[in-house]
Amino acid sequence: MTTTSPAPAAGTSALTFRQRLSRADVKYSPYVYVAPFFILFGLVGLFPLLYTFVVSLNDWDLLRGPGEWVGFDNYVIELQDPWFWNSLFNTFSIFLISSIPQLAAATFIAAVLDQNLRGKTFWRLSVLLPYVVTPAAVALIFSQIFSEQYGLVNNLLTAWGLDPVMWKHDTWAGHVAIATMVNWRWTGYNALILLAAMQAVPTELYESASLDGAGRVRRFFSITLPSIRPTFVFVLITATIGGLQIFTEPKLFDATRATPGGAYHQFETTTLYIWNMAFNQDRFGRAAAIAFILLVIIVLIGLINYFLSKSIATNETKISRRRTARRLDRYRQAERAAVPASIEIRQER
Amino acid sequence: MNFSRRTATVAAIAGTASLALVLSGCATDGGDGGSGDEQIELTITTFGTMGLDGLYAQYEAEHPNIKIKATNIDTGGNALTDWKTKQASGGLPDIQAVEEGWLGSVMEVSDTFVDLREYGADDIKDRWLDWKVGQATDPDGRIIGYGTDIGPQGLCYNGKLFEAAGLPSDREAVAELFGGDNATWDKFFEVGKEYVSQTGKAFYDQSGFIWNSFVNQQEEGYYTKDGELNVEGNKTLESFWLKLADAQAAGLSANQAQWDWGGGKAFVDGTFAVFVCPGWMLGVVKGNTEAGGGDASTGWDFADVFPGGASNWGGSFLTVPTTSKHPKEAAELAEWLTAAQQQVAAFQAAGTFPSVVEAQSDPGVTGANELSEFFNNAPVGEILASRAEGVVAQFKGPDDALIQEQVVGPARTALDAGDADGPTSWKTLIETLHQLVG
Repeated sequence: MTTTSPAPAAGTSALTFRQRLSRADVKYSPYVYVAPFFILFGLVGLFPLLYTFVVSLNDWDLLRGPGEWVGFDNYVIELQDPWFWNSLFNTFSIFLISSIPQLAAATFIAAVLDQNLRGKTFWRLSVLLPYVVTPAAVALIFSQIFSEQYGLVNNLLTAWGLDPVMWKHDTWAGHVAIATMVNWRWTGYNALILLAAMQAVPTELYESASLDGAGRVRRFFSITLPSIRPTFVFVLITATIGGLQIFTEPKLFDATRATPGGAYHQFETTTLYIWNMAFNQDRFGRAAAIAFILLVIIVLIGLINYFLSKSIATNETKISRRRTARRLDRYRQAERAAVPASIEIRQER
Repeated sequence: MNFSRRTATVAAIAGTASLALVLSGCATDGGDGGSGDEQIELTITTFGTMGLDGLYAQYEAEHPNIKIKATNIDTGGNALTDWKTKQASGGLPDIQAVEEGWLGSVMEVSDTFVDLREYGADDIKDRWLDWKVGQATDPDGRIIGYGTDIGPQGLCYNGKLFEAAGLPSDREAVAELFGGDNATWDKFFEVGKEYVSQTGKAFYDQSGFIWNSFVNQQEEGYYTKDGELNVEGNKTLESFWLKLADAQAAGLSANQAQWDWGGGKAFVDGTFAVFVCPGWMLGVVKGNTEAGGGDASTGWDFADVFPGGASNWGGSFLTVPTTSKHPKEAAELAEWLTAAQQQVAAFQAAGTFPSVVEAQSDPGVTGANELSEFFNNAPVGEILASRAEGVVAQFKGPDDALIQEQVVGPARTALDAGDADGPTSWKTLIETLHQLVG
C-alpha cells in the first residue's frame, strides 16, 4: 500500500501541525493497519503458546492449579510414557490410512469432473456436500454404522455369511473406520481444489498431445499430473496438518466409552491424549508437555515437506535445464553438421 | 492504491476505532446478568435422568423474577469432564449437580463451593439421611451440597425371558430364586448359568455394572477410609474379578456397550435378562427400552433382592460454586429442588430414590406411578425403600472416578470381549493403575 509521499519541507523551517500530522500518518499508520492481526495473534496465539510452555514446566493440576516447578521432568516422563507413543502410532496410522486413499480418490474424482459432463455444477456441489456436515454429526452417524452388534456394516457382513468386524475393539478395524469418516468429509473438498488446478492446464497441451497420438490415460499421467504438482503439494501439506490433529472423529466414534479413543486407547490420537491427560487425569503440566512435543513433531514434518517440495521443484528445473541443454546441444550439432554441408554444396557448385 | 492523506487519516482512526469495538465486544461478551434485582437468570447443570426437568417451570411460576436456564448432560462421565473443564477455566453454572462417584475430586477443591450453612443448611440438614449429609460435608465441616437421590440397588429382570427359560417370573419368587435376604453373588452366577444353558442367550448386558455394584457394596472400595489406595493386593476385589471372568467364559455377559445398548435395542430383543438397578437406573431402563421400540409389555420387572446384600450406587448432590453471582438465589433453588415434595416428583419422573427421609415414605413414592406401570406394576418405591435399609456410605477418594472409568474400564472390556482371561486382565488393571494413579 502506498500513500502519496509528503512534500519535503523546505529548509529547516518549523513544520506546521498539519504537516507533522501527515508525516506521522505516513510513518505510523501502516503499523495501525497491520496491528489487528498482530494483537489478535498475540492474544490467541502467542500468549497461549507461552502460557502452555510455562504450564509444561510445572506439576500443574487441573483442579488445584500450579504445583511445584519441575523443569523438563514432564517432557522426560512423556517421552517414556507408552500411552504417548501409542497415541503417536495411532495418529500416524490413521493419517496414512486416510490420506493416501483420500488423495488418490480426490485426484480421480477431479479428473472425472474435469471431463465435459452434463450438469457440471450439480456434480461439483455434490462432492462438496459431506464437507458441509459438522464432524460431530458425521462421527455419530458413522459410529452407528460401525456399531458392532447393531451396525449397518456388520449386519451386511453377517447377511453375506461373513464374520462381523469388531470395529470398536480391534485396532486396525477402528483405524479404518475413523479413516473412512475423515475421507468421507475431505475427499470432495480436495477434489475441488485439484479440479481447479486441472482446469488451469492449457488445453493446447492436450490438443497437441492427442495430435501426437497420446490416449486419455497417457495424457492424464504425462500432462495433467505434472501440471498440477504445485497444487498437489499444497493439498498434501494441508492434509498432513489436518491428519495430525484428528480429534472429533475418534472422540465421538465410541462416545459412551469412558476411556477416550476406544476401550484400549486403540484409536486415541495424540490430540485426544492431550485432552484426556488434561481433563480426565487432571495432569495439566504433562498435557502441556505433550502439546509441545506434538508442536515439535509438526514443525519437523513441515520442514520435511518443505524440503521435499523444494527438491521436487529444483529437480524439475534441473530436469528442464538438462533438457534444454540437451536440445541446444543437438541443435548446435545439427547446425555444425549443416554448415559444412552447405559449404560442400557450394564447393560442388 | 493512492488515496489522499485525509482519507488515510480517517481510515486509520476508523480502523483503530473498529478494532477497539471488536476488542471491547470481546470483553463484554461473557458477562451479562448481575445487573438489577428484578430479573435473575440461574443456570443449572444436571446429568443423566435426574427427574428435575419438569420442576423448573413450576419454580419460575412461583418466583416471577427467576429465570432458570438448565443444561442436562447425557452421562455422569461426560458431566464430570464438563465440570472439571469449567472448574479450571471458568463458566460454572449457578447450580452444579455432582455425582457421588466424583465427590472425591470435588472435595479436593471444596473451598470453591459455597458453604450452604451460610444459607441455612444447619436448620434443614435433618431432612436428609445422616450419611448423605456426611458425604456432602468437607473436612472443615462446611456443607457444600444438598442431596438429591440415593442409589439403593434392586434387581431388574425380564419376566417374559425368565418364563421362557423355565424360571419363575413372579417378583417374590424371583427374589427367592436369588436367595431372598441371603442372596449372594455366587447364587446370582449360578442362576445365570442355568439361564444360559436353558436359552443359549446372555444373562446380563456386560460385566461393568455388576462390578460397580460389588465394589460399592464393600465397606471400603477403591480407597480405604483413610484415603489409601485399596486395589492392588485386595483379595476381595481380585477374587470377584475372577468370578466375573468365569461367568463371562460361561456366556453370561452379552458384551454390550455401556450407556449405548445399540440405541436401546438390546433391552427389547432379549439380548439379556437381568440388569442391576439403583433407583435412578429405573429411568434409564425405561428410557432405553422405549428408545429401542419397547414398552411395558417388553416384560421388565423389578425384584426386592440384591446379591450380596444392601448396595448403594450413585446418588447426587446440588452444589453452588462460589463463582455464582447469585449464591443466595441459587442456594434457595437448590434447597427447593431437593425438598421432599420435589424429590417425590423427581422420583415419579425418573426413579431417583429420595435422600430426604420424609419423601421416602410419601405415598407419591410408595404408590403407583408411570414408572411402576412400566415395571409390570411393581411397587418400585416400596422395594427401593426396602433396598435402602442397611446401606452405608463408602469413602470416595480423589481418583475414584478415574479408577472406575479408565483403570477398570479397559480391563473389563477386554474381559467381556474375550480378549483376555481373568488373571491377565487383572494384571493389566493393576498395571494401568500404576500408570494412571501411581
